[in-house]
Amino acid sequence: MSERSVSRQKRGKRWYTLVAPEQFDRKELGETMADEPEKVMGRTIETTLGELTGDQSANNTKLTFKVTDVGSDAAYTEFVKHELTRDYLRSLVRRGASKIAVNRTVLTTDDYRVKLQPVAITTKKADRSQEQAIRRIMIDKVEAAAKDNTFEQLVDSIVEGRLSSAIYGDAKTIYPLRRVEVMKLALEARPEEVAAEEEAAVDVDEEDVAVDEDAA
Amino acid sequence: MSESEQEGGDKWGIAHVHASFNNTLITVTDQTGAETIAKSSGGTVVKQNRDEASPYAAMQMAETVAEEVKAAGIEGLHVRVRGPGGNLTKSPGPGAQATIRALARAGLEIGRIEDVTPIPHDGTRAPKNKRV
Repeated sequence: MSERSVSRQKRGKRWYTLVAPEQFDRKELGETMADEPEKVMGRTIETTLGELTGDQSANNTKLTFKVTDVGSDAAYTEFVKHELTRDYLRSLVRRGASKIAVNRTVLTTDDYRVKLQPVAITTKKADRSQEQAIRRIMIDKVEAAAKDNTFEQLVDSIVEGRLSSAIYGDAKTIYPLRRVEVMKLALEARPEEVAAEEEAAVDVDEEDVAVDEDAA
Repeated sequence: MSESEQEGGDKWGIAHVHASFNNTLITVTDQTGAETIAKSSGGTVVKQNRDEASPYAAMQMAETVAEEVKAAGIEGLHVRVRGPGGNLTKSPGPGAQATIRALARAGLEIGRIEDVTPIPHDGTRAPKNKRV
């Protein structure tokens, strides 16, 4: 790669400021470079929660934003993912403790499909029945949260840790817990995509399901 | 090369450091990871293949990369370190440490350092043990 080709590449590229969605006060997330505005669409940027809120203690959470709209020198993003950093999650798990994880895909009231992964870490090894009971609570809480929250409210409740503390409050009576966190929250489909899927889905009648007993 | 980009000042980038035991690859991108600003690998600084993964090579690479990065107006870097991963070893190779240190010494601010080694949620069988 010669020096000249670099400069030719650089020419005509513009910087776009990435702006967080309204939910996160339209903070500046960073900058990206592109020669054509269309190329900025769909790019993702990862920041920590601490960077976004200015709270230094909250650096164990990564938030990912995706560009959905490009202006003249700014690109507007939407929230797509919330994730704990790998090292933080590993620091929670000690020898002889149980990690109880759940992976649940739910539909919020405004038809966003969201994947949620709460995780509970106990102080000591839990029995399977206890694990199952805690898992049950986590599933119920997650589904209840999806049932009466919009996508935005749900994201808020997870980013602020309300959902995990609700799970903690209920589940600690079953077995002493060290920590409950929402390991991951990911946007799977927007309302339009969910609607399009439903449109495309075909109803299958009972009699159409081929159970060819005679032929066999 | 017009308006603000030259003296933007507080621009950040991401340094992706793939440190395997046979080579080290450094790629510096913008914060989205979509635009490459500078890249380098072991073969650009050493002759012998077995030296490509050495800390010395990593240092040399980091220095040239740091220069290019600074020329692009970027002041700080977040670092994403990655080892071989998969069913191979999960820890980064010898070049990782050296790269980060050299980048810092070259006057770039180092932000978050994150391990992004791909870890299987149970994939294929691991290679059998090497026998001497």
